[in-house]
Amino acid sequence: MKHWTLTEADKDPAPQSGPQTYEEALRRNFLFAKLEDMVAWGQSNSVWPFNFGLSCCYVEMATAFTSRHDIARFGSEVIRGSPRQADLIVISGTVFRKMAPVVKRLYDQLLEPRWVISMGSCANSGGMYDIYSVVQGVDKFLPVDVYVPGCPPRPEALQQGLLLLQDAIGKERRPLSWTVGDQTVIKPPKPSYRDLLTEERMRTGQLRSPDEI
Amino acid sequence: MTQGECTLDSNADNIDIPSDVPQIARELAERTGINDFTVQPTRDGITTLWVSKANLRATLRYLKLQAASPYALLFDLTAIDESRRTHRQGLPDSEFTVVYHLLSFDRNEDIRLKVALTGPDLNLPTISDLWPSANWYEREVWDMFGIAFEGHPHLKRILMPPTWQGHPLRKDHYARATEAEPFSLSDEQEDIEQDALRFVPEEWGMRRQSEDSDFMFLNLGPNHPSVHGVFRVALQLDGEEIVDALPDIGYHHRGAEKMGERQSWHTYIPYTDRVDYLGGSMNNLPYVLAVEQLAGIEVPERAQVIRVMICELYRLASHLLFYGTYAQDLGQMSPIFYMFIDREKVFDILESISGARMHSSYFRIGGVAMDLPKRWDQRLREFIDYFPARLNQYDKLVLKNSTLKRRTQGIGAYNTAEAIDWSVTGPNLRATGFAWDYRKARPYSGYENFEFEIPTGNNGDCYDRCTVRVEEMRQSLRIIKQCVDNMPEGPHKAYHPLTTPPPKDRTLHDIETLIQHFLNTSWGPVIPSGEASVTVEATKGLNAYYLTSDGGTMSYRTRIRTPSFPHLQMIPMMCRGMMVADLIAILASIDFVMADVDR
Amino acid sequence: MQNSEAILATNLTPLIIFFGAVVVVTGIMLGGAYLLGQRHHAKAADEPFESGIVPVGDVHIRFSVQFYLLAIFFVIFDMESVFLFAWSVALQEAGWPGFIEALIFIGVLIAALIYLWSIGALDWRTRRQRIDSSDSRS
Repeated sequence: MKHWTLTEADKDPAPQSGPQTYEEALRRNFLFAKLEDMVAWGQSNSVWPFNFGLSCCYVEMATAFTSRHDIARFGSEVIRGSPRQADLIVISGTVFRKMAPVVKRLYDQLLEPRWVISMGSCANSGGMYDIYSVVQGVDKFLPVDVYVPGCPPRPEALQQGLLLLQDAIGKERRPLSWTVGDQTVIKPPKPSYRDLLTEERMRTGQLRSPDEI
Repeated sequence: MTQGECTLDSNADNIDIPSDVPQIARELAERTGINDFTVQPTRDGITTLWVSKANLRATLRYLKLQAASPYALLFDLTAIDESRRTHRQGLPDSEFTVVYHLLSFDRNEDIRLKVALTGPDLNLPTISDLWPSANWYEREVWDMFGIAFEGHPHLKRILMPPTWQGHPLRKDHYARATEAEPFSLSDEQEDIEQDALRFVPEEWGMRRQSEDSDFMFLNLGPNHPSVHGVFRVALQLDGEEIVDALPDIGYHHRGAEKMGERQSWHTYIPYTDRVDYLGGSMNNLPYVLAVEQLAGIEVPERAQVIRVMICELYRLASHLLFYGTYAQDLGQMSPIFYMFIDREKVFDILESISGARMHSSYFRIGGVAMDLPKRWDQRLREFIDYFPARLNQYDKLVLKNSTLKRRTQGIGAYNTAEAIDWSVTGPNLRATGFAWDYRKARPYSGYENFEFEIPTGNNGDCYDRCTVRVEEMRQSLRIIKQCVDNMPEGPHKAYHPLTTPPPKDRTLHDIETLIQHFLNTSWGPVIPSGEASVTVEATKGLNAYYLTSDGGTMSYRTRIRTPSFPHLQMIPMMCRGMMVADLIAILASIDFVMADVDR
Repeated sequence: MQNSEAILATNLTPLIIFFGAVVVVTGIMLGGAYLLGQRHHAKAADEPFESGIVPVGDVHIRFSVQFYLLAIFFVIFDMESVFLFAWSVALQEAGWPGFIEALIFIGVLIAALIYLWSIGALDWRTRRQRIDSSDSRS
């Protein structure tokens, strides 16, 4: 939903005195959008996370909720204690085998629409813990929408993940009602940001030396 | 240093005790008549005695109750699977060795007792009647090794799921998840697992009803904002009053001890960071100190002071998080935001020095990873000027708030004797009035050169546990200021062949150094065989790494003694008869981290 | 009398419209929420949320008697308020005798309140909390 943006006052072509064209008048005074775009816009800008954390990544997630990084400015204003009131579960931390049925149960209790962000290497793939008691990645039993790498990812990385999720939600197509229509959720494809950014990163010439602050 | 043997004869009357037998063994022989010990010399200088299974309880009872200046604290109870160990000359034959590590505050000394177990008969008498904290330690040994303890009230699995087969720390148990089938969670499996996790009150001796009312069983479960991680307390409630509580852990078991047996001495350092994930490099310290003790490396002064500074910065970060979540659990929503801003400033400093915020893994065997960058003290001095005023503001905001005081003073109180019985260490012990800090009692890494005080509390209640930590923050800032003002010049790594990564400047000149450098960088260092245990005063209490080396590139057994493991055992004692809100205050004041408990 | 009836009739229509609007808006909100959106079926979704673990025991249990006491106290003092509301509406008509009767009514209930307070029926602490607080004071 990018039909309207904030423009600075001196850049915006001010309304000229005299008759406007029909199109200009419409553009200034009416907003046209499809219903599903409006719904997607509403959903993507008010993703409420569930108060769930497993391990060290939870501390960085909590840091993303506090003042300096402030996830509330992205619409994730309230963090809910009950899964039925939350939209988003961030699997922050290692998924242990003892904890896996608990996570699955909580995911089941999340009501539609619901999304999963897998935060950190341990949730993405088991991370550096290739050990008997750790599930090698939460996508072994949950469908994941966004993978955020890092050990732990910086709060800014989690917020980038959240913005990607918001983009993806904006492009999703969900059924309007359970009584009518096709019941599948059509999700957009998940590109790998490593592939998208490789070219730009390969052009990096100057790296800062660690001897200076 | 070879491992010698020294056995006392079984002739009780005319014993010729050699002079290098430790004093405590002599006392034991004289007072109790037990004299079939084997003394094992270890790298760390801790008296290590092998006792027989039959004499175990009598020896422990003597050490705890009858000895002058008794060994009152059960520091650790663990086991070692000796089946693949090669360097064991002079030690009794053993398939599994159970280790009891006791600490005496009055003598300021440790003692380690080992019991050799062989064959199909793997059991020992329990000591949970002598030390209440032995309860969970014995359950952990049963879970990890399969050694049963006769007389234990509830010998069940504690770290692994109840449906697990096998004992993970045995050498024949697989280590990697990729060695087994990939994990999948079908619906039936989920049902089975959830049923296994379901709480059955009768198993724990709880009744379902009293004469007048029924009890409600509630899970303050693995997912709850107030339990600080994946921790579960099963509550037996009568209305709002807690009749009994049962803590359940193991939801955060990452197998750090088994991982040590598979990683080289150097590549294990990041795993130690994540044991107490708020402590960061504070966890690297006991590990590298233990390896350095085994290898015989002397760390240069600059590296020691850098280590002290980084450790105290992490102590500040951890206590700030404790402070914020403590206030939040008791209902104050704002202080946590202010404290997280201060944490961000600490992380900025740590990031500029080490490159990472939370898990910096900055320490290395023999020193630290890199030298301090130029103008490193700039941000530190700004922080030192900025922080004390903030702490004073927080005092007014949090500690002087009358509602907070009503909710915490007198709640969850215990005295020093109870604390020592339950193996409580760190600020939780100092809150009872007992001024014992490992940095003062047995200084390590140069702490003897710093001036700081040890704050103590009076009543050992929730409020005192918070005030002790706030004072510790002020003392930590004092230590950091001394580090910044007096940072010595010099190398940041020791000049020793086993330092990892090894110093590079001579490798291009002579072949021996080149070979050593190559092997050290590819295999990792080969640490000589031996045993060493180093304890530090970590952010939450006493944290010890007990390393057993078999002369290889990997550790034979890495035992991590964490402070939060015994602290959680005390929860039922503190909260029986109180209300749920008091339990929240108690949980907030213990300051535990689940990765510290379950490793 | 006829005046007040006329006033009542003209004031009633907006009230009825308002009531109708409330019903319509609530109906849309609830009905819309019922009809829109997806449903997903998972066994756990129908069970109560208890921090991710299956719950133990039933909720139809006998509670301890202090909750009943609190409910009864609430009823009594709430009924007192109801009667006081009724009296306050007819304040002018009741006049001085009404005021004195109301004072007697309030006085009787205050005596009851003082009695309850002094015997400790309003003390919601558990037994251990009472012991602990008396220990710390002594």
